[in-house]
Amino acid sequence: MKFDDKVPIYYQIKNQLYHEMITGELEPGDKLPAVRQLAVDMTVNVNTIQRALGEMITEGVIESQRGKGNFVTMDHERITQLKEELITEQLERVYQQLHALDLSDEDIIASLEHFIKQRGEQHV
Amino acid sequence: MSDVLTIENLNYKRNLKVILHDVNLTLAQGKIVGLLGENGAGKTTLMRLITGSAKGSGHIAVRDLEKTVDRKRHVSFSEQLKGFADGTRIDRVVDYYRLVYPDFDGQRFEELVTFLQIDTSLKLSALSKGMKEKVVIALTLSRQVDLYLLDEPFSGIDSMSRKRIISSIIKWKPDDATMVISDHYVTEIAPILDDVVIVKDQTVAIHQAADDIRDEYGIGIEAFYESLYEGGVKHD
Repeated sequence: MKFDDKVPIYYQIKNQLYHEMITGELEPGDKLPAVRQLAVDMTVNVNTIQRALGEMITEGVIESQRGKGNFVTMDHERITQLKEELITEQLERVYQQLHALDLSDEDIIASLEHFIKQRGEQHV
Repeated sequence: MSDVLTIENLNYKRNLKVILHDVNLTLAQGKIVGLLGENGAGKTTLMRLITGSAKGSGHIAVRDLEKTVDRKRHVSFSEQLKGFADGTRIDRVVDYYRLVYPDFDGQRFEELVTFLQIDTSLKLSALSKGMKEKVVIALTLSRQVDLYLLDEPFSGIDSMSRKRIISSIIKWKPDDATMVISDHYVTEIAPILDDVVIVKDQTVAIHQAADDIRDEYGIGIEAFYESLYEGGVKHD
């Protein structure tokens, strides 16, 4: 996995795992690889993996079962909620940046619609 | 968490020239620590002081043990095979390690040899730079100790060897052991570091968690390191 050295590694690991959960690569109830295996797969430190997983356990996205390992939550609603959180986070960033360019809410909606339409035509 | 290494007020001079002064450093167990600094900054000297091969004033304790003999038992240092003649076969070097270090784990060594694709029947003179470094890593990691010191394990070797070596470090570093990796080029090891220690102006100028640096300054480890040398990042 390629990392952006400017962003804390544990944060990037969390985002990678969120991504796999939302796209269904990791399904509810799936067992995650062992910590050291994840570290080898992602070429990062074991402690960094542990920090990322620790936070995800606190968030209720991952469940730790004593002696068995870590599992993706069976709570489908939590996954749906996670997806919404990530969408909101991305939209928030775009919204802030466009707002800073002095666009009104209507302008933002219009330019987004225009962008999607144009993009769709380019990709046909 | 208990500490593996404690250095207090360490000073070291060579031929009346100050090489290191007022070094204070404490490393917790279970960490991978990047020891960064320019060539000649004193990284290798610091490692040699920790193992006891060089003598300075001040206190150095490994697992609370100060005596050189005790420290040596708890530290595995990647000496560059300098003591062996070019014609020595790798398996003869391994015999020597088995004899000298009671903590040398033959099975670990076999696993590392397989993973790093080392042919132990070769003579040292027949090894490429990358292969030689792999042998050094396999020997160093096969000892069961609390503190591993790797002195510039990546300098001048190909990227495939580098990747293998990095993977072997992640796979075989014991959970409770701490590993110090010195380098003057940090980008490729940055993701595996817990802590960053920077040697500058003959002392330890910075000791900080890698993710804290990214969090606090919003820059990469390489950029942080460079800015420190250019005096860009303020630090009290």
